[in-house]
Amino acid sequence: MFLPALGVTVAVAILCGLDRTAAGQFMICRPIVAAPLTGWLLGEVGIGLQIGAMLELLWLGRLPVGAAIPPDDSQVAVGCTYLAIVSHAQTGLSPQVVAVASLLIGMPFGKAGQLFDRLARLANARLLTMAELALDSGRFDGLDGLHLRGMLHFAAASLATLIVVVGGGMLCLPLFFKYLSGPLVAAAPWVYLLFPLVGIGSLLSGLRVPRAVLLFVGSFIFGLFVLALR
Amino acid sequence: MKLPRSVLLQVLSRSFLLQASWNYEQMQSLGLIYALNPAFRRYYSGAALLAAYRRHLEYFNTHPYLATTVIGAVLKLEEQTQHGIDPGFTISEFKSALVAPCAAMGDAFFWGAIRPVTAVVALLWAFHGSLWGPVLFIVLFNLPHFWFRVQGLIKGYGGGVRVVSTLQRWHLSDRAIYLKQVLVVLLGLFAAFIGAAATDHVDGGIAWGLCAAPLIFGLCALMRRRGSPLLVILISSLLLLGWFQLY
Repeated sequence: MFLPALGVTVAVAILCGLDRTAAGQFMICRPIVAAPLTGWLLGEVGIGLQIGAMLELLWLGRLPVGAAIPPDDSQVAVGCTYLAIVSHAQTGLSPQVVAVASLLIGMPFGKAGQLFDRLARLANARLLTMAELALDSGRFDGLDGLHLRGMLHFAAASLATLIVVVGGGMLCLPLFFKYLSGPLVAAAPWVYLLFPLVGIGSLLSGLRVPRAVLLFVGSFIFGLFVLALR
Repeated sequence: MKLPRSVLLQVLSRSFLLQASWNYEQMQSLGLIYALNPAFRRYYSGAALLAAYRRHLEYFNTHPYLATTVIGAVLKLEEQTQHGIDPGFTISEFKSALVAPCAAMGDAFFWGAIRPVTAVVALLWAFHGSLWGPVLFIVLFNLPHFWFRVQGLIKGYGGGVRVVSTLQRWHLSDRAIYLKQVLVVLLGLFAAFIGAAATDHVDGGIAWGLCAAPLIFGLCALMRRRGSPLLVILISSLLLLGWFQLY
């Protein structure tokens, strides 16, 4: 069961990896889309939605400006959704517990994504050199092909990140569940809320807008008041 | 020679792959040639085509969604040069003057404003367990994305160097600031929702949800001092796990 699921996960990971930089940038790669998409294809859309909702804001403030490479939250979202669904089937723990556990274990491995992305961009520099050499020798028919080959590098980088996230998660999650499943069940609802809180703090820290504190506090109190009336 | 609509459509569709060979040396230069290629093959052949490729195989980096604005204007300038019209500067000079402002405006507007606003709107649904969240995100984000890509090419190709005033008329930097204010309001509402959800786990009234605000301001201050969100999550989660393990 898990092998075909892994095949689907790899396909979504590559799709999201390409969407992230190389092709389209329709934002299918954002965790709020990538994780539910993976979950839906694997038959557990709820787990994917929870992972996407937890992860979405965390690194959203890290902009892909110029040569900057933000953490690869797409592969973390896809890989952790797979890990959570597999763990859910194996342990029978609730979707929220497995989602929280998978993210806590998978996220640190996701840091590898920045390295692989950088390597893909370095490999693309060779394509540029090849294009320059081709033009020097008066050949230009292969320029389109050289450009499109860059997508292979980005796809390989996505795949490598997914392997690290899923591989690392597969190794560590059983130990995590073995020794910490008790407190994990109790802590999961709190950790689930902690993710967006940190995400909001992270986003706010990067915003430089007039009257930000006033707007935030005003809408926060208004929101809480409306929720209290319900 | 005016480009037929089919060629412009090819240029537009190729612009979606502008960053396929992104690299640290010339960034999107090969992508630019890839996008311009259908039009260049109409304009030039043989040595002239080779010379056109050489002209554009140089540093090029702008926001991918606003790149069609530059691409359209470049095509117009290439066309004018063919007709012997001298704009008073080289195409390369025009490109380098336009890419940086487009990159700055696009980064602030799309990455800094539209994307987080649509993400928070989506989260307000997703946290209720509604699948409309991801759907809303994709639709709301991609409407302006597609509009600017298409309009950029139309205005760029239609106006040539006059596209600069079109860019000014769009007021993207001002709109980005307004959208960021909307974002702060949405974040406040989302924080209220999380605060209220947290009170479901304790025996207390919804007023305890007010604690979320100082917590967020503390986290915000920590992030401004280069705190890592990942580390904050891991350390806080470990503390929570330790707490529940002990008690």
